[in-house]
Amino acid sequence: MSFYMIDSIAFSYNNKDNILKNISFSIDYNQHIGLKGHNGLGKTTLVKLMLGILKPKHGDIFLEGKNIRDISLSDIGKKVGYIFQNPEKQLFCPTVWEQMNFSYRNCESIDKNRIEEKLMRYLEEFDLRKYKDNSPFTLSGGEKQRLVLASVLSRDVDFLILDEPTIGLDILRTAQLGKYLNKLRDEGKGYLIISHDKGFLSTHVEKTMTLGAKGVEFS
Amino acid sequence: MISLDPRTKIITVLIISSAAIILKELMYLFFLLLLTLFICKLLSISLFGAIKKLRKLWIFFLVLALIQSVFNPGGEAIIGIRGINVLTTNGLISGTSIILRMSIIIFSALIIASSPVLETVYGLIAMRLPYEIAFMVLLAIKFLPLFKEEFTDSIIAVQLAGEDLKRIPLGQKLSLYTYILTPSVIKALGKAKYISISMECRGFRSYPNRTSYCRLKMKKLDYLVILLVSLLSFAIIAFHFSIIG
Repeated sequence: MSFYMIDSIAFSYNNKDNILKNISFSIDYNQHIGLKGHNGLGKTTLVKLMLGILKPKHGDIFLEGKNIRDISLSDIGKKVGYIFQNPEKQLFCPTVWEQMNFSYRNCESIDKNRIEEKLMRYLEEFDLRKYKDNSPFTLSGGEKQRLVLASVLSRDVDFLILDEPTIGLDILRTAQLGKYLNKLRDEGKGYLIISHDKGFLSTHVEKTMTLGAKGVEFS
Repeated sequence: MISLDPRTKIITVLIISSAAIILKELMYLFFLLLLTLFICKLLSISLFGAIKKLRKLWIFFLVLALIQSVFNPGGEAIIGIRGINVLTTNGLISGTSIILRMSIIIFSALIIASSPVLETVYGLIAMRLPYEIAFMVLLAIKFLPLFKEEFTDSIIAVQLAGEDLKRIPLGQKLSLYTYILTPSVIKALGKAKYISISMECRGFRSYPNRTSYCRLKMKKLDYLVILLVSLLSFAIIAFHFSIIG
């Protein structure tokens, strides 16, 4: 059984012109896929459909064999981590620490000390520890991107979707992101990266999907 | 479909909404609503689409009308439980008038919204409103959708972070909404600030007047519509006051 199974989906924002038409593909548990295509062809729309944020007009999407229409957004979020194209959209807590800790704040069955230690390690690794008590909105663009990456990676999801993750990252941070992607790979976790950065994609993915007017093509 | 100058639409809406506040009798409010719907139809505004799109607002008004009906005593009892009047004739009239008045105001707003926002701003400037204030109206109009977008994004991000909004208790849900409200306002204000900076970067307020490619010109049809709406609204108000004395 594939992790993701996309079956002949079509989608339009205005019920007239389909931005996506007859899209079918599947992704295995530990597959590492790149998604590229010209601007405005619907790459972000496609991942929003895969996450259940948008609903397809035709066709179905299955996550671990279950139709995504029957899974709540929070249950999808527990399996799939998503890094928005604009990281600011993903920040909603008053402080950096609360943003990191958000997913664990109502969990009573976990070892709080161990979680705090883990979150602190991620803050340290992404060079954000000094901003722990600051508002995420006072951070620079690159810092916001790092915070979003750190908070999603710390959640131990099974699969990660990254929408243009290298934008706003310098060479050093891009290399650091690459290191984390390698770590995910070693842990047997899959990911899908939307990017125009051919070099980054060729280093970190095995297959690249190209979204065009006629659908997706693998290369 | 007819095309009207934004000034005509602004004047029409001013007349209709003023009449909606003045009128008290249901029948006359109903006539005013018919006039508003007729203008909407002339402008090819999809009434069904508007009702569907704003269904939560209509439900809110319906609840408001029901509350108004229940808490307005007087008149004859329509529904009573153990001697307590739950719904009276006065209450029903009061609730219905709220729905009619709100419908008139919403459909009037749709008349203005049928013009592009910038055209409406130029209409306000042409009506001698200082252009700084007219553009502030533009920013205010833009702020609400910006805030809605930010709030929706935050709700999606919260759910993707593993919080199930459908399963958590109401109290916890409210506390969560309050929690994300402030960052959403901050983000929307930040975007509004960027819009104002962009406007200043393009020379906003550098000179006392602005030139524009958008040239508004009132046609005969515009004057005719203003005249007809004024006469009809005046006639409805006059009949209303002649009846109630």
